[in-house]
Amino acid sequence: MVKRSGEGHIPSSFSIVDIIDYIYGNELRYDRSNLSWKDRDYFILSKGHGCAALYVVLRKYGVLSDRDIENYGTAEGILGGHPDATRIPGVEASTGSLGHGFPSAVGLALGLRIRDQNNRVFVLVGDGECHEGTVWEAAHVANNLELGNLCVIVDWNDSAAQLMPKDDLPAKWKAFGWNTIEMDGHSTKEYDKVFSGLSYSVVGKPTVIIAHNIKGKGVSFIEGHGPWHHRVPSDEEMILIAEELVS
Amino acid sequence: MKSLRQEFADTVLDLGTEHEDLVVFVGDISHGILQPFAKQFPDRYYNIGICEPTIVNMAAGLSMAGLIPVVHTIAPFLIERSFEQIKLDFGYQKLGVNLVSVGGAFDYSKLGCSHHCYSDVALVSQLERSQIFLPGTASEFRELFCSTFENGMINYYRLTENPHNVPLKPETITSGSAVRVISGDDLTLAVVGPQLGNAFDVVSGLSQEGVSVELLYFTSLKPFDSEELRNSVERTGALLTVEELSTRSGLFDRCLRSLAGIDGLMFGQLAIPDFVHTYGTYQELCASIGLDADGIRRKVLEMIEAR
Repeated sequence: MVKRSGEGHIPSSFSIVDIIDYIYGNELRYDRSNLSWKDRDYFILSKGHGCAALYVVLRKYGVLSDRDIENYGTAEGILGGHPDATRIPGVEASTGSLGHGFPSAVGLALGLRIRDQNNRVFVLVGDGECHEGTVWEAAHVANNLELGNLCVIVDWNDSAAQLMPKDDLPAKWKAFGWNTIEMDGHSTKEYDKVFSGLSYSVVGKPTVIIAHNIKGKGVSFIEGHGPWHHRVPSDEEMILIAEELVS
Repeated sequence: MKSLRQEFADTVLDLGTEHEDLVVFVGDISHGILQPFAKQFPDRYYNIGICEPTIVNMAAGLSMAGLIPVVHTIAPFLIERSFEQIKLDFGYQKLGVNLVSVGGAFDYSKLGCSHHCYSDVALVSQLERSQIFLPGTASEFRELFCSTFENGMINYYRLTENPHNVPLKPETITSGSAVRVISGDDLTLAVVGPQLGNAFDVVSGLSQEGVSVELLYFTSLKPFDSEELRNSVERTGALLTVEELSTRSGLFDRCLRSLAGIDGLMFGQLAIPDFVHTYGTYQELCASIGLDADGIRRKVLEMIEAR
């Protein structure tokens, strides 16, 4: 996608693709033949620039087609560098500007409670996104409204700490009153343990899972922070990336 | 005279029973007068506090859940501070919301420019799916709100704290329609919101002196009644707009667009050019920039004499 179109955030997507895959494959209640099913759970990718990960997962579970993936970033297609919910089936919110998806998810979780429904709302935010004031405004409100149907996953891949190294995210979320859990964000065993231990309720403490992730996970020369954040690989680099991912 | 804010509280209370999807968020204002709604519908009323962008953002989540959000707080914080949320969460995502402000222009006249708001209407008007209403009395608000709140659009209602006292038939107040309050031949005076009172006094007084001014009153800027305006200005050949909005994008701009193609017209504008660095009463601040009866009269006569 990114190579063909010349646009995308590969390391950010590699950081979260494992957890999104797990959520869609194991946690989320949805019906791919009826995406607006009223009893579905919601997943909102608040860090919209990691959307390549969401797109491949939606493809894996039959929501998007190969053609959708092939047409990424083109005028013929529906997919682009940030997701547009008005065009892409299975995408619940149009994100891109950081600090929007999470507060929307808080309103959605409240709205579902008002409607007397027990759907769950999952929302994934970046650690850099946690620099946005609206994240903490929303965290504060969600705790006070006791949105026990809300689960936030923080992609803690140390992006934020490059700029602001005092970045104790677990302490911050705990201070905001959330049920706070840390886990390895690339371990299926950990996912099983953490998600099976969660309980959801219409009224209760919201949960945040702080996932220790690796930016660019899976490709040695992309991992970490640096020029790859918004870089498109060359032909030679694509071969190396493919080799590492296959191995 | 009943305040628009009280009418807002009474209107949502009346609508709340029939419309179980109506949810009210406030940013810690009007909390007292909304208590009847809060008590009757406790699961549909939330005083979220001082975090306006998040309140607007959360309202998008309500809309995603199929509810009808009503968000109410002070204009500069509801619109100017939260504009990216309005733009992306409702404009980009094609969701519906009802934004109800108080404190537009300088209703909080003694609190300084941090609490003034001149550009709210200009900002909201940038969005294709927006509708903008500036009721000048309590009954005008009820009429406009009840006919639009569930249309799925981005509805902005700017409530004045200084309602006019010009008696208009309720049936003349409808979304997208101007009211011809007084007919005349020498100049068209187009006015929006609470300035109708001043304009009415001026036009009535001038008619005693043989000066014939047509007075058009607009309670909605989007949709806008271009037809009534064109009919009037084609006859009079001159237009003066009066608005408690920025000089840069408000009633005057709407009129210019509507009148494109008509040659030989004369234009004048009374609006807010910049921050009003004055503490005092609402009337004093209006007078400081010519938005009072004296200012309107002076400008009308100046334009008529210049023709």
